[in-house]
This record gives sequence, structure tokens and C-alpha cells, in this order.
Amino acid sequence: MNVLGLFNLTLPSATDVESTVTSDNDFFATVSPRDILIFFVGIIAAYIIGLVISHHIRVRMSHRLKKDQLDILTGIIRAVLIIVAIGISLPGLLDLSVTIILIALVAIIAIIGVSSQKVISNMVAGLALLYESPFATGDFISTGGVSGTVVSVRLFSVRIRTTDGVYVHIPNDQIYSTTVSNNHANVARRFVYSVGIRYQDDVKRAEEIIGKILEENSFVLKNPAPAVFVSDITADSVVLTIRAWFPSNWKLTQDDISLSTAILPRIKDALEAAGIEMPYAQRVIWFANQPTVPADTTSKQG
Amino acid sequence: MGFSYTDPDIRIQLTDNAGLTKYERDCAGKKESRYLGHTFSAIHILPVEPVNLPETLTHFLEISFPPLLISPGAEQTIYLKFPVEIGVFLESGGKTDPLDVFSLAPLKFSLYGSPSSGVITRWYESDLSTGIPVTDLRREGVMSLHIKNSAAETTTVSRAVFDSTGMCLFYGDRVAMTATMEILSPSIALTTFSDTAPADCPNRAIDLYRIRGFSITKRKGYFMEAGTI
Repeated sequence: MNVLGLFNLTLPSATDVESTVTSDNDFFATVSPRDILIFFVGIIAAYIIGLVISHHIRVRMSHRLKKDQLDILTGIIRAVLIIVAIGISLPGLLDLSVTIILIALVAIIAIIGVSSQKVISNMVAGLALLYESPFATGDFISTGGVSGTVVSVRLFSVRIRTTDGVYVHIPNDQIYSTTVSNNHANVARRFVYSVGIRYQDDVKRAEEIIGKILEENSFVLKNPAPAVFVSDITADSVVLTIRAWFPSNWKLTQDDISLSTAILPRIKDALEAAGIEMPYAQRVIWFANQPTVPADTTSKQG
Repeated sequence: MGFSYTDPDIRIQLTDNAGLTKYERDCAGKKESRYLGHTFSAIHILPVEPVNLPETLTHFLEISFPPLLISPGAEQTIYLKFPVEIGVFLESGGKTDPLDVFSLAPLKFSLYGSPSSGVITRWYESDLSTGIPVTDLRREGVMSLHIKNSAAETTTVSRAVFDSTGMCLFYGDRVAMTATMEILSPSIALTTFSDTAPADCPNRAIDLYRIRGFSITKRKGYFMEAGTI
């Protein structure tokens, strides 16, 4: 049966295949140095053409695409050119017919498809990430319990450097199938802090002091305006919540810790300078059988 | 090559130090010091676009001013103050390179638009006047803003956002810019800069964004699509 009739090709007969496939000994006898030269020249030419095209794409598209996207796009173009060059020059080198090549190709694709589902899944996820661009190199992201700066976005994986300097390699299909938080996706981020003060302290005064510190900080955005308000009254303290927006691409908003260490100590110092202190934990204890001390017992005994 | 500039707030000094030139700057207590590894033929201290400090966080300038009502078809020229940043440039071999940027003006940032589609701006609050206000040219410049209401409704304007990549800064007796705001609808306006020098400010400042290569093409203007209030 001619299964490849759609492509107007005919399957070779068994004798044809036997005559086409040569033994190892025959290979070097039938392949001329010219065929080998053409094969390697073809590969090298494809590689050079790929480099030239990649260079032109980088020059012309650098203002439209991110670096990661350019890397993947140029990588795909170079790989396709090499495969095409092999596909063109290999039949001549091995003296194989197009039909045999197609059969081999289908078999190889089937084998790769079965044995490398994970690899293909990562590649497809990589292309999806490339298209959707939920993050780019340099962004600070959190995904699957890992937080860090994206070092590179590749076809099969994303590489992240955590704040403690650990290099994390995450397959693309994991990232694509889980939640990703990107600290840099928007131009501004809101940070929320809580500060507790004592019951006897002046709440309005504390709000004014914190508000002044936020106003004086160049990076606390004017709009949306920062807010300071009483959010809770606990057993030990009156809790003030501070909400302020900062530029996302400022170096201290790369991660939450850097900003906290820049803002909170100043607020603490200013409140303490105004006589407003952070409360100690306190409890009023009631005894079930409250001991009573008789009044003026010594005078009665006396 | 020695050089020194001193006033009550700013001190700039270039001294020869063991074969190297040492640059020192003190601007209201903010100090900077570095050695220069090359020779130069001239030093220029000029105003630059007020969007370079403390780092390149934004290239937008937002000036907030008291609300101004503009009726349909009306045109009005107002004068606003804007913060001045001072750039120190070294010239060598026909090439001018930035060495330092500092400012005496207060620094504040804001968000124009939403966090997802808006822009971070260098924010400055200004009075509004119809005559050229007196300023300390080391701290503030004067912008002549011509507002034209092309919309069909009366519109209130209380802020103007500019893209610094199109900024044309001039200096002389003062630091000056000339800009136009065309109100296209009550919530959309187009701001552009004029490259014509005011009569009392004939000198064109160096475009720092060009030297640093932030933008190859100069933009025509900025569409304020998040409102004019």
C-alpha cells in the first residue's frame, strides 16, 4: 500500500531498499571526498548564514523584542538552517532516496516523541513563555516556592539567582503550569507595614510622624498617596498600618527585605524620638481564688 | 589641569594628584569623588534634563500646579517652575562625556496612570503665573507652557507630563524650556517641546539622554491619556 501517496511518493520495494542501503565497507568506497566536502561546506554555510541572519535580526528587532526573545528566535532560526542543510546534503552523501530519508525522519520523530515527552513539553512551554512574556531577564519573580532574579529565559528552562546567591534551574513546563509573581511587571508596587504603639500614645501624632517620613522619602510615590491608619486594636497595642507605593524598578524594591530595612528603622527612630514607644506584651492575670489581705490585721492583733 | 568652583551650596574641584586628576564635588552635603584616567581639554557645567537622579528611574517629568480652567478653543500661556539638575561634562578630542550629575532641587517621584499601564514620573510642584517668575537658576528653571484646548468641553488642567527624550533645555540668565499642551479631550492631552530658544536664554544645553544613548530617535511628544487633573 502506498501510504505516502499524499506526497506523490512511492515506497521502494524490498530489493530497492537492499540496493540502496550499503554496507559499512561499501560506504567509504561509494562516498567520494567531494560528497564529504559538500556535506561539511553545506553545514558551515548554513551556520554562517544563521549567524548573519541572527545579527541582522538583533540589530533590527532589538527595540521590539526582549533579549530572551531574541536569543530564542535566533536560536530557532540557526537550528532550522542547520537541519535544512543536513536534509539537503545528507542524501547526496549517503546516496539515499528522499523516501528513505522521510521514513527515517518519521521514525526518529516517533521515537523522540515517545521518549522525550518531557523535553518537548518544556520546549512548547518555552515557546509559550516566549509569546506571553510573563517575565524577562532581570525581573524578580516568585514561582513554586523559589524567589529570585531571572538570569536567563531559554527554550527548555529558566535560570534564577536567589537573593542568597543560589542558582536555580527550573524547567519551563513547571513554570508554565504554576503561579508566577513578577515584582517588575507593573511600574509601581505597594508595600504594607504594620507598627504597634502603646495605648497611652497619641495616635494622631504617630500618624503625622509616619506620614512626614513617607512624604520626605523621594521614592514613596506622590500618587497614589501613601496612607497611615489604625487597622487593629490588639491586647498589647494599637496597630497602625502603613501603605505606600514605590517604583518597581528602584534598586531597593528588588525584594521586600531591602525596602523594609530602609524604611522601618527610620519610622522606629522617629516615633521613639517623639516619645512614642513600641509596646511590650502585657497581660492582666485574674486568680480564681483571689487572696484577700485583711485590712489593718496587725492593729487588731495588737 | 586645576579647576575650582565654589558657592554656598556647591563646591566643584579638579586637582592634580600624583599624575592623576581628582574630581571632587560637594552639593549641599552630598559628596562625590573620583580620579580621572584621561586628560581633557575643557570642563562644562550645564543644566541637564531633570530626570537623571538618583539613577535612571524614569524619563518623564510631571509638573503639578493649581487647577486652571480652559474653555473650548481658548489658548493660554502660563509659566511653571521645574527642578534643575546640573551636569558636569568633560571635553576631550572633540567628544563630550558626562562626569557627574547633581541637584539642589528636592527629589520626588509619582505615578501617572495605573500601575500596569502608567509611567513613573519625576514629580515637581509649581506655582502658576502669567509672567516669568524669579528663580535661583541652580535650583529651578522656568517653563513657558502654552495650553490650547482643542476639545469641545471646558477642561481643568492641574498637571503636565513630559517625555524628557524630546526636551530642549536652554540657559542664560535663567534655565528655560518652552512647551505646548494641546487638550484633545477632557482626559487626553499632547505635550511637546519647542526647540526655539527664548531671547534671554540663547544657549542650548547638552542633551544627556542622547549622550547616554537612551533614545536614538527624538520623540514628537507625550500623550497624557490618564487625565489632566
